[in-house]
Amino acid sequence: MKIILLFGLYVSLLLSDSLDSLLKEYESTSDNSLHTVNEKIGHVIIYSQKEIRLMQYSKLNDILKELPLFNVNTNRFGLTNYSLTGSKTTTSGFFRFFINDHEISSGYDQSTSLSWGDLPLDFVDHVEIYYGESSFSFGNETGIYFVRIYTKSPIKENSSELNAMFTSKGSNSQSITHSSSFENGWSYLMFLNQEKVKQTAVYKNQKINSNGHKQYLYVDANNETTNINMGYTDVSKNNYTGYSLDAIPSSGKNLSKDFFIDITHSFLEDKSLKANLSVDINDRSYEEENTDAGFYIVPIGFTFPRHFNEDLRFIKTNAYLSKSINFENNALIAALNVKNKTYDVQNRESNQNSAIGQYNTFDEETTSSLLLQDNYKLTDTLILVANAKLDHYTRSGYLEDTSETLLRVGAIYTPTENFGFKSFYTQTALAPSFYNIDYAAQSNPNLKSQQYNFYTLEAVYTQGNSKFGVTFDHVEIEDFLYLTPIGFINVDHKIKTDGFLFDYEYSFSDRDKLRLNYYTSTLSETINNATKGGYIKYMGGYQKFDYFTSLIYRNGYQYLDLDIPDSFDVSLGLTYHVTKDLSYSIKANNILDKSTKSLFSEGIGGANFALDDNDRSVTFSFRWVF
Amino acid sequence: MRVFILLLTLLAFSSAENYTFLVQPYSKEMELEAKIIAEIATSSVREKIELFIPHMSEMEEKIYSRYFKLSSKCETANFVFVNKAVENEILCDNTNRLFFTNNYRKLLSDEKYYGALFWNKSRPNIVFIKKRLEKRAIELPKTFDQFIENF
Repeated sequence: MKIILLFGLYVSLLLSDSLDSLLKEYESTSDNSLHTVNEKIGHVIIYSQKEIRLMQYSKLNDILKELPLFNVNTNRFGLTNYSLTGSKTTTSGFFRFFINDHEISSGYDQSTSLSWGDLPLDFVDHVEIYYGESSFSFGNETGIYFVRIYTKSPIKENSSELNAMFTSKGSNSQSITHSSSFENGWSYLMFLNQEKVKQTAVYKNQKINSNGHKQYLYVDANNETTNINMGYTDVSKNNYTGYSLDAIPSSGKNLSKDFFIDITHSFLEDKSLKANLSVDINDRSYEEENTDAGFYIVPIGFTFPRHFNEDLRFIKTNAYLSKSINFENNALIAALNVKNKTYDVQNRESNQNSAIGQYNTFDEETTSSLLLQDNYKLTDTLILVANAKLDHYTRSGYLEDTSETLLRVGAIYTPTENFGFKSFYTQTALAPSFYNIDYAAQSNPNLKSQQYNFYTLEAVYTQGNSKFGVTFDHVEIEDFLYLTPIGFINVDHKIKTDGFLFDYEYSFSDRDKLRLNYYTSTLSETINNATKGGYIKYMGGYQKFDYFTSLIYRNGYQYLDLDIPDSFDVSLGLTYHVTKDLSYSIKANNILDKSTKSLFSEGIGGANFALDDNDRSVTFSFRWVF
Repeated sequence: MRVFILLLTLLAFSSAENYTFLVQPYSKEMELEAKIIAEIATSSVREKIELFIPHMSEMEEKIYSRYFKLSSKCETANFVFVNKAVENEILCDNTNRLFFTNNYRKLLSDEKYYGALFWNKSRPNIVFIKKRLEKRAIELPKTFDQFIENF
């Protein structure tokens, strides 16, 4: 009888607060940010709203620097540079970045660093990072790693938010996010940010820096069928080592104004017909002066000017139309995509030539693409994925028109609730950008597309609160585009790389979690970046406090006469929630001052040196929602 | 019905949060939304609920049918959940049925609705308007008092 009474009491207690607990569960589930994940387009890592908040990730680079099989460095202009493990590419053509549906890479060099590299995450809900080929699904330019940044939902925010941050190194950032929804189903989110960036290094007892200012504006307006995104950035940064032969310019600046508008509309009752239109306009200026040593710019040749400046405009226009059809066990998607890119030199001059103008006649490219995708559910536990894409590149000037055929096949097998396997084989091609052609070695300026063949295998096992994962990848690259001292060349042999990743996650509770991973890789070429790495991080909360600690490891390596030590980037942080709407945070970054390093060299055949990528610093921030 | 919802909730909580791959369309948020609406509907209406959702998607049909008998017409339903922008013409009157929305502004401006489940500051909220509850003679459990507002 007592047992029945106790059980009755237990049930009634649960019933009494079931609506409350359901609301809490609803909120917590939403914070896991799983509603946009698409397992069929690659191997995915999700940075949920919960993790972004607990780990105090304030900028996109905070996330990217810990990614496995990935290196984040600083290039000669002080801009973030993403590269595949073992290598240090000079720009980042392998990587594609999206804000919602819009791809944000530069029309010039396909890099996002200048305009979007330090993107604040105050208006971001979650980030998905896929190892796979995004262009099969979205029709964009090809790439093998892609990062999807999803902004906060205006319907869920429905409020205003102030964020401010400053660091012990003198950087600071302020932002306001405002969102609202209306009776007619429309809602909007607006984000405004301004930040002052301080980044300095000392070389030969002289300070070089990429200090600067950035402003961001982002607007997302949507209803059930239409999504309108607009973004604007205005960036002004000093040029770090620049082109200078002695790596210490007298002065120099990188300026960029980047605007885009992106409209997506879904038609038909089941929203199976989707159209997307977008326009990007990017004005980019560069100036540098070096009165001592002059500088070397590949397309100008060995003239060593002492002053150089250019004003460029890039316009990217994209139209995409897709139709999805479900029949029997197939989910088919067919799509057309047309992209036009133009490159306009408004002014380019040096102290030796006041009208340098265009480096070559390649200033416009149109890419027409046809895409087909089929997901076939063979059994309840096995899904087969197949993609095909035809790209035709129409180019102005001396560069020939080309066509590429891209293919991908894969399978997702989940024999039990606890076991899962996923594997893809992909053939893709990365076409040369305006930047590659500007900087092509004069001996052979007809650069070809890089051909990628890669396969990946991922296995996941879950047991209770634990999740184990292993991923293996094998990549082969033909006609790799490599920047030599005299310009870009297609490497004349096949490059091979293998990677192995182990990942483990343990959830102590809904709020407390431990994650660790370790990866190792091989590369058939001379190593000039880390090839092994990993992280261990713990995040959690108790009552009004959230806390985290993390260690990011990258192995050391030798390159030419440089001996780069292991890197151990240790951070820890604490957040105090005064109320549900007001919180203060403190974060110590790179406590051991053992950052990763980037390689630089003076001029042609000059001294090689390495500079730290991250400073040791303390960050203070607050967040107020009203 | 409430015990059934509770048991389903407990079952969902007891299964591991971890997943291998999310190969099926993600439905956990909608599942929780359906549970909340079921909890509200069963506390507001004494007879068996027949739910109508305008322009119901395939996923909504699949999830909501676990908790409700679904009605294809507004006229035959006794509980209507308006969670999309719809023209008022497709909705029937509210004499024999309750109207609930997911839009707070709609709740404020349209007498037809007696309550709303909506998001604000990244948190889900429930609001019932006291006068409209009284007008419809709805008696909610005491535990719902925190959600009732006297405008």
